[in-house]
Amino acid sequence: MRAKTFAPVMRGFAAVMASLLVLTLVGTSVADSFRTRIDDALHTASYVTNTDPDSARFKSDYATIDEMMDAARALAVKEGEEGTVIMKNDNGVLPLASGGSVALFGLAAYAPYPYTSGDLKAGNEDAVDLLQALTDAGVKVNETVRDFYLNNVLNKHTEEVPNRWTGEMETQVAYDNIYVAAPGDMAQYQIVEVPPEKFEELGAPADWKSAIDKANTTGICVFARGAGEGNTYAPGSALDYEGNATGRDPLALSDDELAVIDAAKETCSKVVVLINSGNTMVLKDIARGGGHEVDGIAYIGVINDYQCTGIARVLTGQVNATGALPDTYVADNASIPAVMNFGGGYYADYEIVARSDDPRYPGVEIGNETAGSFGGSNTYNGGHFIVEAEGIYVGYKYYETRYYDSIMNPGSKAGSAKGATQGSSWDYGKEVLYSFGHGLSYLDYTQTLKSVTVDKTPEGNITAVVELKNNSSQDGCFLAQLYVQQPYTDYDRQNGVEKSAVMFLSSAKAQVKAGGSADVTITVPAKYLASYDYTNAKTYILDAGDYLFTAAPGSHAAVNNFLAHQGKTAADGMDAGAGGAVLTWNVGALDTDTFSVENGVKVTNVAETADLNYWTGENTVTYLSRQDWEGTYPINYNTDVEIRLADSPKKDAWIAELRGETYTIQNGSPAAEGGDKGVRFDTTCIQYEQLSSVDDPFWDTLVSSITIDEAVGAVIHGGSRSDVLTNVENPIVIQNEGVSGFTARHEESGYRFNLHSQTLLASSFNPELAYEWGRVEGNSGLWLQRYHLWGTGLTQRRTPYNGRNYEYISEDPMLANRMGYGILQGCADMGILNGPKHMGFNDQEHNRGGVSAYMNEQKFRETDLRCFQGGLEDADGMAVMIAFNRIGATNASHHVGMLQTILRGEWGYTGLVSTDMMNNKYYFNAESMVMAGITQVADFGGDDNHITLGEGGVDATWAYISPATVENDSALVEQARQNLKYQLFTYANSAIMNVSTVRVDTWWDAALRNATYITGALAAVCGAAWVALTVLPDKKKEV
Amino acid sequence: MNVIKKFSVGAWITLAAAVLALVSIIVYAVNIGSAGYFQNAAVSNLIPLCALAVAALAAAVLLGQLKLPGAASTVMELVTGALQICAPVLLILCLGNLAAARAEGLGFIYFSNADVILEVQTPANLSSATGTIANMACLGAAALAGMAGAFCGLTKKAK
Repeated sequence: MRAKTFAPVMRGFAAVMASLLVLTLVGTSVADSFRTRIDDALHTASYVTNTDPDSARFKSDYATIDEMMDAARALAVKEGEEGTVIMKNDNGVLPLASGGSVALFGLAAYAPYPYTSGDLKAGNEDAVDLLQALTDAGVKVNETVRDFYLNNVLNKHTEEVPNRWTGEMETQVAYDNIYVAAPGDMAQYQIVEVPPEKFEELGAPADWKSAIDKANTTGICVFARGAGEGNTYAPGSALDYEGNATGRDPLALSDDELAVIDAAKETCSKVVVLINSGNTMVLKDIARGGGHEVDGIAYIGVINDYQCTGIARVLTGQVNATGALPDTYVADNASIPAVMNFGGGYYADYEIVARSDDPRYPGVEIGNETAGSFGGSNTYNGGHFIVEAEGIYVGYKYYETRYYDSIMNPGSKAGSAKGATQGSSWDYGKEVLYSFGHGLSYLDYTQTLKSVTVDKTPEGNITAVVELKNNSSQDGCFLAQLYVQQPYTDYDRQNGVEKSAVMFLSSAKAQVKAGGSADVTITVPAKYLASYDYTNAKTYILDAGDYLFTAAPGSHAAVNNFLAHQGKTAADGMDAGAGGAVLTWNVGALDTDTFSVENGVKVTNVAETADLNYWTGENTVTYLSRQDWEGTYPINYNTDVEIRLADSPKKDAWIAELRGETYTIQNGSPAAEGGDKGVRFDTTCIQYEQLSSVDDPFWDTLVSSITIDEAVGAVIHGGSRSDVLTNVENPIVIQNEGVSGFTARHEESGYRFNLHSQTLLASSFNPELAYEWGRVEGNSGLWLQRYHLWGTGLTQRRTPYNGRNYEYISEDPMLANRMGYGILQGCADMGILNGPKHMGFNDQEHNRGGVSAYMNEQKFRETDLRCFQGGLEDADGMAVMIAFNRIGATNASHHVGMLQTILRGEWGYTGLVSTDMMNNKYYFNAESMVMAGITQVADFGGDDNHITLGEGGVDATWAYISPATVENDSALVEQARQNLKYQLFTYANSAIMNVSTVRVDTWWDAALRNATYITGALAAVCGAAWVALTVLPDKKKEV
Repeated sequence: MNVIKKFSVGAWITLAAAVLALVSIIVYAVNIGSAGYFQNAAVSNLIPLCALAVAALAAAVLLGQLKLPGAASTVMELVTGALQICAPVLLILCLGNLAAARAEGLGFIYFSNADVILEVQTPANLSSATGTIANMACLGAAALAGMAGAFCGLTKKAK
């Protein structure tokens, strides 16, 4: 055979090998971009953290991983002990009788929410569920009911499902019947609770009822409601077990659940219902006077691996019940003023925002329809809005103030029909089932405010001493709650300043010996006594008059203390007498100065554009006011009035804001190019002085070395990890998810530390426990060698329907504020960046990626922002994630007033600021985010801190951005450098500075590299062989 | 017609590769022009590279039919061979670039957490994802056909 015959074969192999070479090269590049995710999926590690224990600033409190695990477990158990709330306890049903039996009813009794592990639940092997915890606590559980629930109703089994990333088959827990864990996005919600009439059909013995010793058995019914990211409950969306629409509230107990309760009442002498949910449920049917009233109700929140042990200790009385409700429980959610404006709707002419000639996106048709937060269409997503017309009156601040006014000021029409759901006139006793702060103690005790002092200076504190007196014969733990009533004056009435009749300040717990007493001291910054006057003084004011302080077991008891102090009695309409002392602190004259400057920054209006009235130019919105409960009760601004953008006297500016044009790139002011300035991000350059102040000149020198390309690129492609900057040589910092703690598994032990329950921590009402958790969370970061976590949620729970409420703390800004203080300080003390989510009114997940939330500035400052203020101003919080939605028409991540003026200026916050997931370039505007002070835009790439990675050397996402288009906007470039300065300063002050991170090769790096070499060599050999064989002369045939 | 009659199996395979590459350009254009996750999500240089591959494949087939004397024949053989090698390389490059650009989006659409899956898997997004997968399949098939063609001559041997 002639040699030339092989030429095509070699050519073919050359083509194959060259193609494979290209494939491996591109694959290597792609793999590098997704390195963190690939590491997670393949259990490899691309970065090795080198620690130097001798020089470390932050060292774990625990010498061994076993000690660390024990501490984490103990903390989780404590959350169960301190967070379980006894809401109702009649007929001595709780604590459970010693030696008695219980029968457990309800799917969640055997599979509490969440029943799967993941972000929300650790799922460690030694996790304890409720059944096990009760058994461990010495409770006898009825075996007949247990067996048919476990074997016939739930029938827990496993399913083999492919891993979403690796494709490997994994075992997943499944049940025949289980509650719906994710309610969806304002979808119908099926309440899957198997009614007793189905028990026998599913295999329960016909005589199951007779297997229960009624006289000696307590029925415990557990009901759950799911939640989740992107989820929002829709009022009236409930489906029953069979899937039939009932038109009822999905957060109300269904007929099937009530039937289970009835079966428990029939078969057991007493019945307790446990509420296993992060969303406040409607319990009217089982509360006092309800058609299915039970003896006891307890809140157990959303539980994790070990909280059940603590819950069982409370139920059995091994520890005193000290939990309190972080939200108000009402008879009907329709009575909540905020629910009047929930979900949102379109402006009448929202389409006029759409355009096809946006100079930033030539030739692109950009609409204005709503879109999912995961993208999917070209839209500014500015068509939907809600009006938060309830103002500051969220949760108990509405109900208690209206109750107070119904007695003190009937002229306010507090008793009118507006907002009433339980009769023709508004009646607190009918509308509210359990007030904020309510929680019954097993052991009789009193809490008495002994003294209160107020240091009326910008940095001053309120210091209150509360005496806890244990009137029982047992030692125990007790809860003290501090409340205040600010004066509501003529000045307030004239200038639209609203005041709640009662405001929670903080709380504390203490162990008290039987018959003894103990004093607890509660300290809160005095600035929180001030109210924001957005119409006249345009700053924080302290009204003249008496400030009343009291210690009380809940907001309603506190209000009654105030009423009694003011001479009111049951004859005036009070539903209870005074239960505690009231102390007074007086302000002689209106004070508009003391809190008008904070951190050297003059405090004044920054959110006037958040008010819909600003845009319409008229009083379109009437904000709820205690001056006239009837006349100002919110209407629905999506359905009851028509809002037209075109009618606005500020139409063009309004539309521009909805198009994300908060800032426009300028021209004519050249920015200085970066370059090596001879300084680096290392311990040689960063010493005590540099760590002490972000204003140290070193930081400006350091960031001035960052190139224009990288300065803007590193901010707008902050990603899920920070990248190394040329001339800075900062370490790579990987961000971690975990509202329950770091989700990463400890390599050696296989243990996971995301074992916290945000809901039970909230209902513990114990800021010290929050600090303990923060410290444990921080310690776990050191053990995991992970330093940046999105590890708590602090958004105000505006309504019960938000699917993220289980991540948040409370309807009350101050409870969230104090808990946030504890969690963030605990982490900060261990050098861990713990960023709370989602600052700036993530009040619903529905259309979170664009909905406009309109409000006045008093609400803006005194509700959601106050939730974050404790952790980010008072504590040393080092990170924060901004909400997805708009504040007014402005993307929260574009909001200069919130981020630059308040966060950086008034609060003096020096940490990093991240957006939520950037997945709509038409909504998230890069230059506006830079100018607002965002330090990292959350996309998901790695090694992408450039604005040159797109086609033609422009930005890969925002193609109108490139070095050429930003180099003449020095303000933009310098702001980007300033943003990075804060980020680098924060890294330096964290445990990140303890370590150096080194990139190492994983097995898949080696495989890709070897494949590249081999295919490259083979391509070259085959190509050469093909050329040689082709050019060889044909062999002449011999004649 | 006589030219077509001279086409070998290799020429037909190479032409098929060119057609598949052409189809992939059309699928790509439709995909980024339609509503859904990948609307307007252009991939850097994909169309030019793909068009270059189509041109290389077509040129290889046509040049492969030329009968030139002496050394010119060898040169032409090298040129057509080089085109046959380069074309699948270009197509694989397109495929890699497309996959890199689409990986995160496909991950969102198909592998998001269960609680957000309804929000993510809208009909438009699923259609967009299907379109981009079809786009990748076409490019992959075109590259494979191009590689197969490179093993073959482009004209029937004279009997």
